[in-house]
Parts: sequence; C-alpha cells; structure tokens
Amino acid sequence: MVRSTATNFIPPTVFAILALSIFIVHAGQSGQTSGAAHLITMKAVNLPSGQLAYQMVSHKIKSTAGETSDVTGRYSPEPTIPGPAIVITEGDKVEVTLQHAIAKSSEPVSIHVHGVHYKIDSDGTMKALNGYADEAAFPDQPYTYKWDAALGTAGTWPYHDHTFNDPMVGSEDKGLFGTLIVNPRNGKTEAIIDGEITDIGVDEIKREFILWMHETTFWGMEVNNILEGKEIPLWTNPTVGAKLGEKVRFHILGMGTAFHTFHLHGHRWLEPGTTNVIDTTNIGPVFRHAFVLKAGEGVGTGQWHYHCHVVQHMQSGMMGSFLIVE
Amino acid sequence: MNRKLKIASSTALGMALATTVALAEKTEDVIISRPGLLPSAILEMTDEPGPWFKDPVDGDSLVVIKPGEAVMIKMTDVASEHTITSLLWQPGAEKFPIDQEKPSSSSVTHAFEKPGLYVFTCKVHPYMFGAVVVDDPKTEGLDIGSEIQLVTGAKVPATSDIATKLLRTFFVATTPSLWRDYTKPTWDAKLPAIPLNIAGSVVGLDALSVSAPNALSKPSTPGVGELWVNTQFETINGKKKPGSATQIDVTTWTIKKKVKGVEHDMNHPHNMWTDRAYKYIYQTEWFDKKLTTFDRESGKVYSTQTLGENPSHAMSRPGDDSLYVAINGEDKVVKLTGGERPSVQMNINVGPHTGPHGHHITHDGKYMVTPNALASSVSVVNLDNNQVTEIPTGGVIPIAAWGDMKNQIYVANLLGSPPLLSSLTVIDASTKKKVKDIDLAADYDPVSGKTKGEAYGLLPIQTPVSPDGKYVVTANTLSGTITVLDTATHQVVKSLPCEPGCHGVNFGMKNGGGYYAYVASKFANDLIVIDMDTLEIAGKILLATPEDGQIVGNNGMGGQGVLPLPIADHGWIEETAKLVGSGKLTAEVEGWLKALTKEQKGSERLSTFGKVKEHEVEG
Repeated sequence: MVRSTATNFIPPTVFAILALSIFIVHAGQSGQTSGAAHLITMKAVNLPSGQLAYQMVSHKIKSTAGETSDVTGRYSPEPTIPGPAIVITEGDKVEVTLQHAIAKSSEPVSIHVHGVHYKIDSDGTMKALNGYADEAAFPDQPYTYKWDAALGTAGTWPYHDHTFNDPMVGSEDKGLFGTLIVNPRNGKTEAIIDGEITDIGVDEIKREFILWMHETTFWGMEVNNILEGKEIPLWTNPTVGAKLGEKVRFHILGMGTAFHTFHLHGHRWLEPGTTNVIDTTNIGPVFRHAFVLKAGEGVGTGQWHYHCHVVQHMQSGMMGSFLIVE
Repeated sequence: MNRKLKIASSTALGMALATTVALAEKTEDVIISRPGLLPSAILEMTDEPGPWFKDPVDGDSLVVIKPGEAVMIKMTDVASEHTITSLLWQPGAEKFPIDQEKPSSSSVTHAFEKPGLYVFTCKVHPYMFGAVVVDDPKTEGLDIGSEIQLVTGAKVPATSDIATKLLRTFFVATTPSLWRDYTKPTWDAKLPAIPLNIAGSVVGLDALSVSAPNALSKPSTPGVGELWVNTQFETINGKKKPGSATQIDVTTWTIKKKVKGVEHDMNHPHNMWTDRAYKYIYQTEWFDKKLTTFDRESGKVYSTQTLGENPSHAMSRPGDDSLYVAINGEDKVVKLTGGERPSVQMNINVGPHTGPHGHHITHDGKYMVTPNALASSVSVVNLDNNQVTEIPTGGVIPIAAWGDMKNQIYVANLLGSPPLLSSLTVIDASTKKKVKDIDLAADYDPVSGKTKGEAYGLLPIQTPVSPDGKYVVTANTLSGTITVLDTATHQVVKSLPCEPGCHGVNFGMKNGGGYYAYVASKFANDLIVIDMDTLEIAGKILLATPEDGQIVGNNGMGGQGVLPLPIADHGWIEETAKLVGSGKLTAEVEGWLKALTKEQKGSERLSTFGKVKEHEVEG
C-alpha cells in the first residue's frame, strides 16, 4: 500500500535497511499486511521452580515481497508463563519448530494450537490420539508444525502442550501454554469508543494485555505496540498499565479445569459479535475473549481492580490492577 | 505517538537507528505495567501419601527460597478439594496467616520476606504438610527462626520441645521411608545432617533422628469377632490412589484379607461402619467424593457413589439402621438408607463452613453430634426432627467426637482450645450446651518437654468412650501417646506410648468379658491392643502383608478408621443381638454373639428402640 509503493523509488543500496525498518513497524502493529510467512523456533524448558515453559529462540518473517526480517528481539530472552505471544495476521502462514530442552526428561513435548488451520501432521498430539504419528519433540529431535491463518481464523487463540508426561492430556497446567493472536486481514476491530460502537484500526491499539486464568491465578504478558511489539512478562496477578485515553486490547484466556468470571472495574466493553455492553465475562478452560477499550473512558485515571468474580478464587488472590496514568 | 514513530521510521533514512536509541531511552517510561510475583518454587498438592505438598523439582515437601522470593502452592494431583492453610509461621511475617474459609481447588502465590520456617497444611486433612524455609544466604545453616507462631495463637521458641516435635513430625509425616515399619527389627528414622540455624545456633537436622526396636506380640487373651482397619496409605498395583481396608481375625490375631477397591480406584479409605447384620461395610473415601459399599465376607464391591467433597466418617443410627456420612469438605451430613446401594434420603446442613469430620450418633439414636473441623464449633442434630444447634466451642479443628450413655459427648480439638495446647471439649447433647474443656496436656511443659504426670497428649484425634462408660481413650498424633481419661473425674489416668501418627481408636470385645481398645497409626504398620481392664498394652499386631505382591508400597501403613465387630457400643450391639435366631445373621456372626458375656451384649431394655426414655438410661 503506501509503504510498498514508497519502496519503488528508494535506491537499491538502502532498500534492505528500509525494508527492515518497515518490518519492525509491521511487527508492532500486525494488521496491515497479510500473507507473510513466519519461521519460528521455540523450545520447551524447565524453570528453576519445577514448572515448564516455552521460550522463543527465533522468529523471522518473510514478507510477500520476499524480504526477511528477524523479530526475535521483541520477545523475552527468558522462558515465560504464559509462553511467547505470537502475533500474526489473517492470511499468514507459520512454521513453528519446537525443541525439547526439558532437562532430565525424554518425554515428548508438543505444541497443539487452536483456531488456525493445520494438517493432521501438525496436531501436536501422539499417534494414540491422532492415528497418524507422534507429533512431538524429543531430545535432539525437534518437531515442526505448520499453521495456516486462513481467512476466518482471526482472533486470540491458545496453544499448549498435549503430550508431556501424559500422552492424552499433556502438561499445559505446568506452564506449557501461550497465546496466538491472529489480527484480522482488514485491520479493523469493533469496540466501544467514547460511547459508540466504532470500527477502529488494529494499528491504533497501543498495548495488548494477555491474562490467562488458571486455577486461581492470572498469568500475564504485555505486548507493547508502542515499543514495536515488545513482550513484557508479567507473571502472576500483575498490574497492567496504560495512559489515559489509550486504546488497549485485553486478551483473556482460560485453561485447566476451573470456570471463572473475569471482571474489570470502571470499564465496559463490547461483547464480541454482538452489540451487548458487558463488564464481566465467563471464562472456562480454553475459552478466549478479546476486547478493545479506551483506558479510563468516562472514569479517569486510577488503579482499577480486575479479578475473577468467583468468591473462592478472589479469596485466593486471583486479582490484579489496571493502572491508568495521565 | 506510536503513529508518529512509525511514520518517522518509514520515511526517513537513518531514522531507524535514531528511533532505536530513542526507544531504548523511553522503554522505561512506556511500560506502565508492573509484573506480579514469579514463583521461585512450587509446592504441588497431591493424594500421594507423604509428599502431600510436593516440590516438582525433587519430590520433597519442603522448598528453600531466599528472602523476597515467592512460592506458588497449587493443587495438582488431587481428587477432591482442600484448603491451603498456615499451620505455623514466623511471628510478624507480612500477610500471614494464609487461609481460606472452605476447601476449593485454589492456588496461592505468596512472597516471603522474613527468614525462617513456614508450614502449611489442609484444614480438612491436617496431616498434609508442606514447608517453606526462607533462608538468608548470609547466615550459616538453613534459617528456622527463633520463634514460631502457631495457628492457635501460641508463640513458642524455636528451640522449645513442642517446636522440635513439630519439626520431627513434619519430616516423618512427609517421608514414607521414615515411617515405622514393623517388618524390620528396628525403626531408624535417620534424618540427613543438614545444618539448621535455630535462634542463631547451628544444629544438624540429624539431631531429630530417632531409633527404637520394633517388637510385635499377640495379646494372650483372644478377642471376639474381627476387626477392620483402614490401611489408608498402602500403594497398590493396578490403581492410582492409595489405601485398603484390612480385615483381622481377632481370635487368632491374623489378617484375613485386604479390600483394595482396584476396579474403582478406591482413594484413601478412611473410616468404616456396618449394618446391624454385619453384611456390608460402608467405606468413606476421604480424599475423594465417594462412599463405597462392599460385602464384609467376600470383599465384593456392591456400589460406589458420589456424596460430596471428602466424605470422612460413617455411622448408623441405632433403631432404624439408617446411615449418616459426614462430608468433611462441605457443610453437611448425608443421610442414606443402608444396603448394597445406599440411597440418599436427605442432606443435613450442620452450619455454614463447618466441615464436619468424625461425628457420633448417641446410643439412643436421638442425637448426632458433629465436630466441625472448619468452624471451631460442634453441631447437635436432633435426629427425630433434624433440627440443628451449632455450639461454638473455641476448639481449633474439632475433629472427632464420641458420646457416653448419658449423652455426654467428648470432642477432640486437634489443635487445642487456646490457651490450652491440647483439649477435649465436653458437650451435653441433651441440653445442647458446652460443659467444659479438659486439658489433655496438663502435665507437659511445651518448652522443656518435661512431663510431671499422665496428662500428656498432643494433637488428639479419635476419642471414643469405652462401652462401659468408664474411660475415654484418645489417640494423640503429635506426642505419639494414647491417653486414658477417667470419665468420673475427667482426669487423665494413663498415658501409653503410641506410634508416629497415632490416629484411630475403637473398642472391641475381649473373650471372657471386658474390652480391648484398638489403636491404629498413620505412619506405622502395627495395631496396638490395649486391655481396658489393666489399661496396659496387651499386644501389637502387624498390619502389613509382605507376602502380598500387589501391595507395592507403604505396606500396612496409614492406620486410621478402626471398626471392631461385633460393635461393642451399646445401642448397636443390642440391635444385632436382637437378630440372633432370626436367620438374618450368618452362622459366623451368631457365633460371635454367643461368645459374648451378658455385660458385653448389653441391656435388654435397649433392645427395643422407641420405648426407652432418657431418664431410664441415665438411671
């Protein structure tokens, strides 16, 4: 579009540098281009606590124009729970190679993704379940999954292990889970902004707050689009923060066995696909719910509480803050 | 600002580099979010006997962290709900104690600042222990602290005898290899020589090691009938969850069989009862939601049904033989019909957040009394109209109750009645009033550990009244003692040595008259037999069956519920005696009843229910 025509009159010697800078930009806003190919390598590792986690090793993006950019730097250099948030656009294709780096174990570990298309060889399950093959990484034996974010797959989706220590279930509850965000190809999403249901550009979203609800804990991650998609691990029951008036997107996901009711004080949002205005949503295992809001709209700055509204879960500390500053 | 950055970087050469520098400078300003706690260690709650709070790294029940680090405690491999509750902690520690008002599947993440020992438990299953040691790397040895704050409100020096006992019990309870195995000639609970820093002095953990010879002996006088003991911690090939019911012939003191519930993965069988014809054994599964009914003679499982969170004890009502099962993880007792497939008749709610554990039904069938483990109270239920009266007692974790013929109910408070370290509360079921607290550890000095008399029982659990009404025999799990209380004087007249994890007590018939008290312990595989005529230990019987290859671990361990047959208690024995000659009893059971003395068989007037008035009984 504008940018690709711009490249037409750039001298070839500086083309590569510019292309790289464009990619940094795209990486942050994701939603403007489509059809890119993502080459990703991740590993599954142990944390010192005994939990397991995914860690990004490398993420390269090959554009439709054939240019490759390396966006590995946007991820945490350490393993995180939730795992790396992979942000792509409807129409993109992804190849994820998983390495087994779990010490003292030869148990298979996998990535099973929700939402996007894939062939039977990329299910991330064992042959006992898929009837086809053991689709998992073993020590020194990585496994590559191919995902197709085909038309109709836009949304926020979970990915998780489906094999480790339990060939039927896997070890998602030990920390092997992460987030795949597929932005819509048209770059638009609906939100209530200044009291009106409005189409806003995905590129207007300043911050993505990912909150996984597991047992009685929120596990958080921020993707900061101001910082070109930098990922900030937020661990358990964090404070997520924005500036007053910024458009931010929450991604609330569930896993495990418990059912939750996510509630954020002082804010309301559009129930996706409807015109209903809500301020609480039910989150069961692997349910996912994403919404955009304008930070502090109508209520101003402050430390706005968010929590699971199941009383027992609140009593166990399943809560955090949405901090809005000037 | 975002848009401006993008435009700048995509239209001007050289700006990419400048933008990167600018980004590095402003990253701190742009990120407003603040991370929450990152757990440095995890304790995963499990149904596995011993490592109830398991560190996934090494399988221990203890994690060591530095000040400022956080621990996540979560429920990983559990079939029922639990609480995550501070048992002891460092005085003044921020945001302590940790607790929930009722069981759930919660996880808790907590940052620890003050160096020292912190122990967690589950209020429903108060021998599930997990520990966090916050160790200041600058000091020598693992920091235990100089004082320990107990959940009861007491604060004790870390060097005190009670603190040492708690520490040893923690390691023994959580480590099956340290349990007392009577298939070996000696008990050697050897702890590693890890240096501990207790109140500034460095001592080795191995100072807590214990060693004692193991001697078994059969009582010289046989009993009448048989005995069922829940060997709750046995691990069994073919099922994931532990536990069995062990049947012992008390005429020969030999094990007849073990009912393992392999087909339905029987989970922590805890306590049993039977019907008046002794055809069925009703078995609670305490770390689960189920009641299982099996055939007493064949062991065949007739039915398994879900009743609620953590069913603990079962008891029948004399008169109509209906069955009452306490749902320890909830607020109710479930009333069921008896039979192969007991059917639920009603739920009796005994009060909000009560968690009833070892309830008792009075001999006349009039009242049910529930010790409310989660509520510091006792509820009295009038079984004729199901009216409930909840009586606050001040006891901490009231865990088991038993009544005498005058409907005086003795309630064991696992963690005492502050300021009493160890106590029984006496309740009058008829007037629905608390009568008094009895100090079970009046003769014990918690600091020096010295005892000056028989009243030495710490952390009491089962506490039945002898069928002749003379004594209350209490299993005390922390002191490893069995106390005998005289009901006439309310004085502890005897303290006998028990095993680690001393837990279950009940009375059976002694051949020729009189009673035996049978005592089972969680962390040992023997059964102690006490002669109630002499108040001395008459023998110790092995609960392990080493020849049984299906038992792969903890053989004979986990002694909890004890059910002697014939049931020695008045109210029940008369109900069965009534059936002699009716064809409803097997020849074996008829034989047991024939072997009883008149006193053991009980009063004629108790044999027709509904006609007995309370004053007659009292007289």
